[in-house]
Amino acid sequence: MSSSAGAPAGARNGSGWYLYGVVAADAPAQLDAGISVDPAHGVELLAEGPLAALASKVSLEEFDEEHLRERLNDPAWLERNIRAHEQVLERVLASASVVPFRFCTVYRSEAELRRFLSQRGSDLAGVLRRVDGKVELGVKAFVDRERFAAGLGTRSEEARELEARAAGAEGGRAYLEGRRFDQLVAKELERFAAQVVEASHAHLLAAAEEGTLGPLRSPEVSGRSDEMLLNGAYLVRAGGGELEEAVAALARRYAEQGVSFEVTGPWPPYNFVPREVGAA
Amino acid sequence: MTDRDRHPLEQQVTLIELVDRVLNRGVVLSGDITLSVAGVDLVYVGLRVLLASVGTLERLEQQASGNGNGKVLAAGGPRR
Repeated sequence: MSSSAGAPAGARNGSGWYLYGVVAADAPAQLDAGISVDPAHGVELLAEGPLAALASKVSLEEFDEEHLRERLNDPAWLERNIRAHEQVLERVLASASVVPFRFCTVYRSEAELRRFLSQRGSDLAGVLRRVDGKVELGVKAFVDRERFAAGLGTRSEEARELEARAAGAEGGRAYLEGRRFDQLVAKELERFAAQVVEASHAHLLAAAEEGTLGPLRSPEVSGRSDEMLLNGAYLVRAGGGELEEAVAALARRYAEQGVSFEVTGPWPPYNFVPREVGAA
Repeated sequence: MTDRDRHPLEQQVTLIELVDRVLNRGVVLSGDITLSVAGVDLVYVGLRVLLASVGTLERLEQQASGNGNGKVLAAGGPRR
């Protein structure tokens, strides 16, 4: 394992290259020496023509397909490396536009990685132009069901009557009246949710370059007790502030109905790069 | 590195956001040049593992099998 005169340690067939993302070769990309998916190897910029790969060496013992499947079942390993992947990209995102690649994109050799960059250079450059100067922001909307139900009484005569009957009844009848009120709330909430999603997404798109809606997450996954109504991702100019303003306006519009909004990011534009590059 | 510690809720939320992006999105390479695992598998495996790690998978499964029509307010109507 002794390495001579700056030659990288590790047998050639024992290590591969993990690709985090692609940047323009002349971009002022900043790297953080301490963060990578394999602590033994830091992230490097491998320039190939007008593009550069953000990549670091990894042990193939850890990252070849067979072993990777095992690792993916190790929560600590998975979390550490997902965070490392993201941190590498976020660090770069602060000073340069980046095309993010999916977790665990690994090449067997530097030559193969460079060949990919030169063969797919025009595709990648196109993607890079699309996200140039832009970042992704996440916007989620949640509704507090109890607050929504409480407000319903002030907006709907039917709800007011049902609520009053439930409050005035006793025993089994109270239960039945309560159920009827719950069913009305569920029906109204469903209708309201569809409205909120449509109106909010349109409003946010007007403040963004592009936008997309993702799957809703249950309270167990989202970590919030409120129900998720909207899970959007928006491509915006870095540092623009328009989307945040649009979110604030929506929050004011729907606050009374128990809806709250949450903005996350800036993220690398994960949702605005093609799913595949290099399809034959 | 505190990976094995129990994380505060906020950090778990961020982790799920990360999973949604790092595992579900980003460019995937096709062809024979990489070792990257098929996207769909990775998403499934990743989410499953992470949920299990925060102790919620069990509850999710219970919910999926026991409660098909969503949540309703407790009988008696809203508070406040």
